[in-house]
Amino acid sequence: MAGLAEAGRDAGDRGRRATRQAERPVLALQILIDGFAISALYGLGAIGFTLMFGVSGVLNLAHGGIMLIAALFGWYFAAEYGAGPYGGAAIGILAGLIASYVTYFVVVRPIQRSRAIPKLEEEIFILTGTLLWGIMIQVGMDYLFSNNPVTMQPLIPGVVNLLGVRTPWNEVMITAVCWCAIGLLSLLVNRTRIGKQLLAASINPRGLTLLGFELSHIYLVVWTIYGLLAGLAGVLLASFFGVSSDNAGNLTASAFTIVILGGLGSVPGSLIAAYVVGYAETITAYLLAPTLRPIPALLILVLVLYMRPQGLLGRR
Amino acid sequence: MHDEAPLLAVSGLTKRFGGLVAVRDIGFSIRPGEILGLIGPNGSGKSTVMRLVMGIERPNAGSVKLAGTEIAGWPTHRIARNGIGIVFQHSRPLHRQTVLENIKLALLPDSLWRLAAEPHVEQRARDIAERVGLGAVIGRRPPTLPFADLRRLEMAKALARDPRVVLVDEPFAGLTLAEVATFSELIDGFRRDGRAVLLVDHNVKSVAALVDRVLAMYLGERIAEGTAEQVMRDETVRRVYLGGRIEAHPRKELDVRGGEALLEVRGIDVLYGKAQALQQVSIHVHAGEFVSVVGLNGAGKTTLFNAISGLVPFAGDIRLGGASLRGRTPARIARGGIVQCPETRELFAELSVRENLDLGGQHLASEAARRTQLDWLFDLFPILNERQRQKAGTLSGGEQQMLAIARALMMQPTLLILDEPTLGLAPVILEQLSKALTRLRETTPITVLLGEQNVTFALPHADRVYVLEHARIVWEGAPGRFAAEMGAGYL
Amino acid sequence: MRMLRRPGPWIALLLVALAASAPGWMGAYFLGIFTTAYYFGVFAMSWDLLFGFAGEVNFGPTFLIGLGAYGAGLLNNAGFGIPLCLAGGAVVAVVGGALLALPALRLRGPYFGLITLVAVLLLLDCIVIFANVTGGEIGMMVPDVLSIDASVNYWYALGFLAISALILFGLSRSSLGLILQATGQDRIEAAALGFNVTKHKLAAFCVSALFSGLAGGMLTFYEGAASVDTVVSLSITVQIVIAVVFGGRRTILGAVLGSIFLILFDELLRPLGQLNTFVVSAIALAVIIFFPDGVLGWVLRPREPR
Repeated sequence: MAGLAEAGRDAGDRGRRATRQAERPVLALQILIDGFAISALYGLGAIGFTLMFGVSGVLNLAHGGIMLIAALFGWYFAAEYGAGPYGGAAIGILAGLIASYVTYFVVVRPIQRSRAIPKLEEEIFILTGTLLWGIMIQVGMDYLFSNNPVTMQPLIPGVVNLLGVRTPWNEVMITAVCWCAIGLLSLLVNRTRIGKQLLAASINPRGLTLLGFELSHIYLVVWTIYGLLAGLAGVLLASFFGVSSDNAGNLTASAFTIVILGGLGSVPGSLIAAYVVGYAETITAYLLAPTLRPIPALLILVLVLYMRPQGLLGRR
Repeated sequence: MHDEAPLLAVSGLTKRFGGLVAVRDIGFSIRPGEILGLIGPNGSGKSTVMRLVMGIERPNAGSVKLAGTEIAGWPTHRIARNGIGIVFQHSRPLHRQTVLENIKLALLPDSLWRLAAEPHVEQRARDIAERVGLGAVIGRRPPTLPFADLRRLEMAKALARDPRVVLVDEPFAGLTLAEVATFSELIDGFRRDGRAVLLVDHNVKSVAALVDRVLAMYLGERIAEGTAEQVMRDETVRRVYLGGRIEAHPRKELDVRGGEALLEVRGIDVLYGKAQALQQVSIHVHAGEFVSVVGLNGAGKTTLFNAISGLVPFAGDIRLGGASLRGRTPARIARGGIVQCPETRELFAELSVRENLDLGGQHLASEAARRTQLDWLFDLFPILNERQRQKAGTLSGGEQQMLAIARALMMQPTLLILDEPTLGLAPVILEQLSKALTRLRETTPITVLLGEQNVTFALPHADRVYVLEHARIVWEGAPGRFAAEMGAGYL
Repeated sequence: MRMLRRPGPWIALLLVALAASAPGWMGAYFLGIFTTAYYFGVFAMSWDLLFGFAGEVNFGPTFLIGLGAYGAGLLNNAGFGIPLCLAGGAVVAVVGGALLALPALRLRGPYFGLITLVAVLLLLDCIVIFANVTGGEIGMMVPDVLSIDASVNYWYALGFLAISALILFGLSRSSLGLILQATGQDRIEAAALGFNVTKHKLAAFCVSALFSGLAGGMLTFYEGAASVDTVVSLSITVQIVIAVVFGGRRTILGAVLGSIFLILFDELLRPLGQLNTFVVSAIALAVIIFFPDGVLGWVLRPREPR
């Protein structure tokens, strides 16, 4: 989350300018709008992570790395290659999807299938393996793209006057895209056949096997959805805040803080938690100091872990 | 011995798990040098009672007194230090340590500061190993030991604690007859030492020779108490185990002579770790037949069904319609027509009744086919129609069982395997299930393989009966002959 | 004295003697690398005690190391001598560790590991926020150092490693180690055998904290500074976990092997620039997947008739 400090500082600067220039209500509105946008992006980043855990039991610590790949490839193809912001975004999402598959087939699946690793320690090995893979991604991206922060061209340029606050169109669009994606996911899970299977897998994998569904197919579906979500989140992040290869670890940390807070495996929980964290951070950045941004989330997390370790809506 | 005060005195013991009352108002006492048998089928609460005494679970109500001191609510390690030892049903050794080190562990005090064990500990560990018969393997590690030796190790650890009260959970499961005799001797040794022993098992017959008294449990409550013979003859006990008087109903004979068997299981062996769960088991089922496999808990019914469904590895041959099932994934076997409704039901508790059923029907060709199948099932089990939108986890036990069977039937199976459908259900529900099964038999060409402990439920529907005991098929025949040949000796 | 008849202790003695002679034939540059590797070895051994024995995955060993390092550093900046600072840092680490462990041990599964990770993030943020005292992301200088001679520093590190190894290894083989293994492998059985599981896990955590904190302090007085990159950052945690898994979990001494390999390899691959991290991580990933028992674990695997 320190990686987003720059954005926080910008937001803080805007905030201070606003306080100097305008009255209190405008500041409150600014916090409301910026907080909403930031939370939506956090939410998108987190639900992929929690879906992965809920359905297949995997805590993917290379999450930030996958978002990073999507962001950097998206930026590269949009700017340097000339594909434009939409073309770049599409390629970025595709890159995220591929990275997700590589994570599954090269790191996670071999560990899950290994007979040398006792079942009880499988979780630890997956955590360590994905952590290592995440580092490899970070170093690899640093090598390819250097660690200078890059920003993708806004998908829609210009600003709009929202409730009296000058807000970039980009910010509005990103929020809209995030919520569309979340809405689509919700439709998928609750209305489609494959979605019901995913839901059932997160409740009782053995039950699904008894009904003739191959779990290996379900896992493939989950990694596909995960890759698309993480890829989209990465691309939007590049457009909103910008990214650099230094951010990878912080992105993962931020995602799982939200997921733990909301409850491992609960998608609605993650969304609520994303808004709690997003607003806590935005309020801190505007009213206290941008450098104190990451603190409230961590404090809330510690409190929750001690008082209600399963999170707000957690099940497992 | 009758004048001695009881060493372990339990009264009013009650434990609830959410809405389920696992143990209700259980009381008993055991004197030094006495062995009390706690008997009951799966789900009767006997294991919960044991865990309550040991402090692994906290009772909601009641008292547990050890030599007059109230210990209910104490943490497990404190209860252990005060003189209660437990031999778990499943062996729990330290896999990376030798047998000697495992026994030495049991002799160590609960101290952070003792870095070296006292000198006599090593010798005592050796003596205990000798007493239980592990002298030869003292330097070996548990993964290399046979099953019976692992059970011996559990006994050794219990002995090492030198407890005043010993809790033993299903001591004979997985042992050969010869080993059962040795272990009975060891447990008898506890009695001679003057310890009080609580022996938990599902079968009165197997512990009759060892125990002084028996307390029988069902659905968390006490249903009979007395000597082993008294309990075995008790009407309520017989009804619970056998379901009442064994009657054979005359029914239409199924002509299967000369027909190829639909399901052919030939000489299969299954090992769970070291324990032989199935030994050279062979059964066959013809198309349209209704075959019952009866046997008590631990006999191997579930293992047999899991082998057929591809859920456990086995040695031997299993064929459906002539084609070998070896190498197929469980999901594929289910799609191929063999659908199992396991003992644990495996429902999706957080999804609704309708969603559970829909998942079962996802392989059907069209929406229309699904609708037809659903309507037929709602006719068979009207209560499910009423409770369509209710979450499966909130249904009663009987309703959950019906949902599980209906869900399996949504897949239009060729062979339906039902594992202990009557477990823990009230008699009025059994009536409904029985009627549903009869309708199923009469109106569809379905083949059914039913595994049951409740013989009275299983026999009326069966064309043929297999009896599974201690991992082997010991009897096969028509239900009519069952009462005459097996009935008396079954319990 | 059956122990003296086995090859293990003699090999260890030989290696220590060889290592002690290094200043005679090794250049200052490599002496420095091994010095760092030795301190890292203590980090790794402490982690293995907790993981391999008490069965708890600590994703925030750097919380304990950092407390020890910064604790010692702050005391030194306040004017106290090195031995007192080391002791003070160790105390801070143990107290911090106990405060973290007491509630954390109530959590199961991934939650324990995750809360230890959160502790590190909090410490990181505290260091950055109170940058005027701690030097923030740049780091904090300390006025005293152990020595300016590379050889002397080397011997300090080697001595510290050898003593720590002796104590930690001895602990792992003692009765207490046996009880810890039981509490780590099977809580309920351990309780049924009369052991207070929470008490023992807490003790293991404190021992791990003590050695981590001490090592953190010693490292600070070797480098003359305490900084986030060397004692608190997440990459240190990753390296510790790699070192232990590579060397062989639950062997204590394997952790030392893994640390030396890791740091040496990292150094030897320096010409590759940043990609050296990539290569090391890739090797470690391959080891985790194909040789989960690690080097020493594979060498020492029980060879018994089955």
